[in-house]
Amino acid sequence: MALVAADCPADTAALRSTEATMAPTSATQDGMALTDARSASDLAIDFRNVSYAYEGEQEEVLSNVSLTVRDGEFVLILGPSGCGKSTLLQLLNGTIPHTLKGRLEGEVSVCGKPILSTRIASFATEVGMVFQDPDAQIINTRVRDEVCFGLENLCRPAPEILERQREALDFVGLGGFGDRSIFDLSGGQKQRVSIAAVLATRPRLLVLDEPTANLDPAGMAEIFAVLERLNRDAGTTIVMVEHRVDELADRVSRVLMMDRGSIVFDGTPREAFSQRRAAHSEENATIPTSAWFPQACEFALALGDRLGMPVDASGMPLNVDQAVAFADRCIATAVATMAPPAAELTYSSATDGPAFLRVSQLGFGYEKDRPILSGISFNLGRGEMIALCGRNGSGKTTLARLLMHINTPPRGTIWLEGKDVADLSAREISSEIGYVFQNPDHQFVTDHVWDEVAYGLNVRNYADNAIEERVGEVLDIVDLKRYRDRSPFSLSLGERRRLSVATMLVLEPHLLVLDEPTIGQDHERAQQLMGLMARLRERYRTTILMITHDVRLIAEWAARALVISGGRLLFDGSPEAMFADERLIAEAGLLTPPVYEISKALAAKHPGSLLQPTLSVPVLVDSIGRMEGRIA
Amino acid sequence: MSRSTAFQFRSGNSFFHRLDPLTKFAWLLAISLLAFGAYIAWVQILITIAVLFTAFMLARLSLRVVFRSTWLFGVACLSFLVIQTLTLPGSHVAFHLLGHPIYAESADYALASALRIYTIILSSLVFVRTTDPRELAIALVTQMKVPYRIAYAFFIALRIIPTIEEEIKTIHAAQAVRGVVRERSVAGRIGETKRYAMPLLVGSLRKASMMVMSMEARAFGAYPQRTFVEAPHMSASGVAVCAVMLVLVFAWYAALGFGYVHTFYVLSA
Repeated sequence: MALVAADCPADTAALRSTEATMAPTSATQDGMALTDARSASDLAIDFRNVSYAYEGEQEEVLSNVSLTVRDGEFVLILGPSGCGKSTLLQLLNGTIPHTLKGRLEGEVSVCGKPILSTRIASFATEVGMVFQDPDAQIINTRVRDEVCFGLENLCRPAPEILERQREALDFVGLGGFGDRSIFDLSGGQKQRVSIAAVLATRPRLLVLDEPTANLDPAGMAEIFAVLERLNRDAGTTIVMVEHRVDELADRVSRVLMMDRGSIVFDGTPREAFSQRRAAHSEENATIPTSAWFPQACEFALALGDRLGMPVDASGMPLNVDQAVAFADRCIATAVATMAPPAAELTYSSATDGPAFLRVSQLGFGYEKDRPILSGISFNLGRGEMIALCGRNGSGKTTLARLLMHINTPPRGTIWLEGKDVADLSAREISSEIGYVFQNPDHQFVTDHVWDEVAYGLNVRNYADNAIEERVGEVLDIVDLKRYRDRSPFSLSLGERRRLSVATMLVLEPHLLVLDEPTIGQDHERAQQLMGLMARLRERYRTTILMITHDVRLIAEWAARALVISGGRLLFDGSPEAMFADERLIAEAGLLTPPVYEISKALAAKHPGSLLQPTLSVPVLVDSIGRMEGRIA
Repeated sequence: MSRSTAFQFRSGNSFFHRLDPLTKFAWLLAISLLAFGAYIAWVQILITIAVLFTAFMLARLSLRVVFRSTWLFGVACLSFLVIQTLTLPGSHVAFHLLGHPIYAESADYALASALRIYTIILSSLVFVRTTDPRELAIALVTQMKVPYRIAYAFFIALRIIPTIEEEIKTIHAAQAVRGVVRERSVAGRIGETKRYAMPLLVGSLRKASMMVMSMEARAFGAYPQRTFVEAPHMSASGVAVCAVMLVLVFAWYAALGFGYVHTFYVLSA
């Protein structure tokens, strides 16, 4: 290998032709910080009365948005799907209007350059863009090549590129990873490579669109730590759309909330989360913004309500420590004399009747010497709500696929209603077990919503009137009857997800497996889906097995948790017991939900009181509220 | 979590891994030319031995990898060998099999044809396993002066094949869960393709637009040229390999052209 500085053009004029200024390109620039391209103005973003509609569409995605962001701010944008937040980000480097055409009104300047007359390429040194799916945005197969990519396109000299590449990889904590293949990295590492790839050009503004949506909690923590350092130490301005507010609320300097193309709130995180508001989903239903509130704030608001003391913005806690201090101010040091808190408030007992699915000493691997699963045993009863947890690659999806006979299990290891799953065909199993894939599009096999739901009954030769009746009923449950003649692909993502559940539901399965219901989904959509699951469970006693590492989902909905690590079942018990075991949580790559941390800290501070670690905000609020001598 | 494809690049430090992509491409081309020109079994056997030596010793492929990647082709070649041996006409009967005469000429020709196919598959495996598609793309730009946009199009196409394969598997599993049974008839297979195509197309378009945004945001295509930080260049061993292959190809075709091979062949027969 040799260093070759290719004969790059002197004709930068070609690039300058349509723009006012060009970032400095000389190799003699010093390497002092990751942000060295400053224009005269300290406004990183300046939007004036901006409206935008996609090409061929009448409806505006953004309407009359005005916004200024100063250098050094860390801005979090929240809002339901379809509110225009991703569109807003695409304006920040000129993807709109240069790649995605449409009707754009108003004035937009980014880093002092008007986007209308500036080409996307000349934003490359000032605006770094990071997207949700690492596999779609990483172009190269080797880490170093990916980080060098932007500077190579900008024709910088090779020694400078290598220097900046090293610097950027060091910054994201991947110093020795230059020679690694992208395919060997974890999701969190891949996203850090994506961030390094844009940092190499030392952007003034970093724009991220749900960068952790596909990551497990450990990966998410890696990303947020890097961003915090970048903003604090290098002074990079960050604008980010993200739903994981628990980990972000105390890191960002400003929160924007968007609804139906407009900015409906703009202020500090404390102000943002001190008041419940409402927004609108893609299907125009009203949803509470508290769907994306940090749990610490949710707790403070609920406690304030319970104690009749409204919480003002200045006192709003944004993280666990602040929430504990907040609760402390509300609790008198006197020991509570009340009855034990109702820990049973939301949780029913785990099992219900005899097991209908038995897994015994299950082992599996594609290659003999590399088992993916070994010695797995557990039973599932009717009407249970179970979370299956573990790191990416721990074997949980393989386990679920074996239950479905998508992969063939060894004989005598999985028993469904007393029958060996290895002897049953996928079609026979699918009337007993439904499997909702991450991407609903993968499961659609017909051209109409109605036919889609009827398909499972048709292939099992049900009578026409029975099909008519059951499909109608199921479409009612998922609220999609009005779309019966539409193509499944024309529905919104939330609707497609419900449709894919409906296609499983129509067979009245005993078990429904949900594969990562919250990955790539907003919190409110996941909540809707889980609400639907709860109704099913009540109505048909369906057992729900969700593969997930969303701790709030587990805390809120699951009555039992299974933890898999390295292909072995490490834990089978209540979520409370799981979150209480720190080593287990680390092994499973999970985090503990804030409410658990808050209640644990409070219980430790008030030993004699009846406060106990809990996973439920209402339970915690209730036990504090029932303590005597509460004074603000 | 699924098994990875054997026919794809794996990084390594063998002699062949260290060669530049163009040298390896020249080697592949020369082996193919030699194999196509050789219709005599013993020559083909020599070529096959040479390629096997390259695979095991110079490219450090394991027996398992070679077997896993080529056994299907091996079976096809073997059936090809049997059918041709039994059906081609000849004049010298070598021996009888179940009362059926087996001619020396047809057996010889059949063996040469079967080995030819196997050799070409095997040498392609060596090339693919040891050549990083990105390096090949860069070599096309820096050594062959192909425009970099075209080279990148080629590279990205190779890069996304495994992703698409993975997605097809997922769609297959997702639809099996719906009770979709694999069709056997041609019409059924066409219908099945249609069912796969829609989700695949929707997913691929989304991925492609994401890639476009990611590349444009990093100034891809801004200038007529770009820097390549690490461009492969032909080393001394690369030059040596190319020279040897050139001599071999030239000598072989010259021998064919002047009729020497035929003479040897007739003499040896």
